Amino acid sequence: MLEIKNLDKRFGAIHVTKDVSLQLKAGERRVILGPNGAGKTTLFNQLVGELTPDKGKVILNAQDITALDVPARARAGLSRSYQKNTLFDGLTCRENLALAAACQTGAVRSIFRDAMRNKAVREIVEETAELVHLTPYLDRRVSEISYGIRRQLEVGVALATKPLVVLMDEPTSGIGPEMSHAFHSMINDLPRDLTLLIIEHDMDLAFDVADSITVLNYGEVVFDGTPEAARGSTLLRDIYLGSWEDA
Amino acid sequence: MFHHTPFRLITLAVVLGGLLIATLTAGYFGLEILTEIMVLAMLVLALDLVAGFGGMISLMHGALLGLAAYAYAVLTATLGFDPAPAMLCAILITGAVGWGIGAVCSGSHGIYFIMVTLAFGQMAYSFVFESAFLGGDDGLGGITRPDLSAIGVDLNDSMSFTLYALICLVIAYLFAAHVLQSGLGRALVGLRENEQRMRALGLVTWRVKAHAFGLSGLIAGLAGVVAAQHIMYISPDLLSWTVSGEALVVVILGGIGTLVGPIVGAVAFVVLRHEISAITPYWHLFVGVLLIAVVMSRANGIFGFLEARLEARKAKPKTKAEAPNA
Repeated sequence: MLEIKNLDKRFGAIHVTKDVSLQLKAGERRVILGPNGAGKTTLFNQLVGELTPDKGKVILNAQDITALDVPARARAGLSRSYQKNTLFDGLTCRENLALAAACQTGAVRSIFRDAMRNKAVREIVEETAELVHLTPYLDRRVSEISYGIRRQLEVGVALATKPLVVLMDEPTSGIGPEMSHAFHSMINDLPRDLTLLIIEHDMDLAFDVADSITVLNYGEVVFDGTPEAARGSTLLRDIYLGSWEDA
Repeated sequence: MFHHTPFRLITLAVVLGGLLIATLTAGYFGLEILTEIMVLAMLVLALDLVAGFGGMISLMHGALLGLAAYAYAVLTATLGFDPAPAMLCAILITGAVGWGIGAVCSGSHGIYFIMVTLAFGQMAYSFVFESAFLGGDDGLGGITRPDLSAIGVDLNDSMSFTLYALICLVIAYLFAAHVLQSGLGRALVGLRENEQRMRALGLVTWRVKAHAFGLSGLIAGLAGVVAAQHIMYISPDLLSWTVSGEALVVVILGGIGTLVGPIVGAVAFVVLRHEISAITPYWHLFVGVLLIAVVMSRANGIFGFLEARLEARKAKPKTKAEAPNA
């Protein structure tokens, strides 16, 4: 579904992405682990087109999307959520989801019809709200909901574009352990045909949701395998100083 | 997002009703002031559409108004077009120019956007000022008003013309409200709130900005045509950046991003200008103090202040009711 071929990126002398290659099958849930500064978010930014790689290719559903800009990649089926909430703060949760759905259905282009009243948009909003457990908050403004609910909305907005692949950048970032646990179930309950690539620092989430794990260190893939293999890897233990073993 | 709240509808009905009653009862001088209010109200509606809802603060809406006025003047007085098709052409030309400028400016933000629009406005002003074909600094005269004698209306009569301007204002409002409630209007608000996310959702942002600017140009064009028909003589002053600056002041004074607020602002601004300038030539000082007071109060203009007070009053009983359970 998503193929990353030899992606490489430098910022001056700093080599942030070193010849990264990954392959995600349809419906696969892959978690990318790595310490701070490993190049995880930079990799995401290259995948969605916010950064141009120095070399390499991004192939989505057998289509080379490397030359496409951010909106075109989104329309091709690549959606992302951000590590820091990137929402429409002055709007309600319903309006946030509806904007995303309207972009997907093309309702935003009409000057004759209200995108908010579009049947397809309303259906996507209801469906997505259910997926990310937002139904009770739909008519609340983003500024009126808690941080944890905003994180759910952040993922919801990415899902409302009906993507083929969703890139989630630390979806549980900044939320407590209890909420984090609920988040794991929420991600596990997402439709199985949806391909997920998740950056995560929370080991529990990684092992909870991942079909496969990729570890980046200094911009380089140092591990690519199953969660079971990751648990037994000495290299990973060295990188993380045994943090999940101690937990 | 733009919604017609009951308070907004009531305010709109009161303002438009007030303008209608004033039109039916005012003398010649009063009708002149009322037409001035309506032209300004149309211009600020156009500006609020892009500035209030799209976050694109433009300093060239005066130039768009002037462009439409000149287009109408050239088509009717110089080329001999009938007023009705000339009106339509002038409005469409202004919309098209607005679209083009919106497309060019779409990549810039904040202060840079303001400066680019200012540059476009000043270029238009300089061109008109220097153009012999457009009458240079002498301007153009001989502008005619539409002939509505077929339906028994004489637009050369001041009251009829003011009523006609009021109808144009209502059309401009309905058009702006419709645009803001369309998919494009929703996308425009999304861009104001978070452009990066809108791009990540697949929106081609320059296109939305250009469309919004073009549609705003259509409203500014209508204002320009009515202005030309009103004074029947136009000069480059119509395109001056001070007209754009004044429109921005009125939008802020009334309540940016509310659509109703700028109309309230236009009424307040023109009435204040005439009332205070009758007492002192330093009327700008008073308007300046009022603007500073509005901005410092952190209320969103006169209308925003009233709306916030109303919401606070609504919220009060709720807080009291919740207090014993807290």
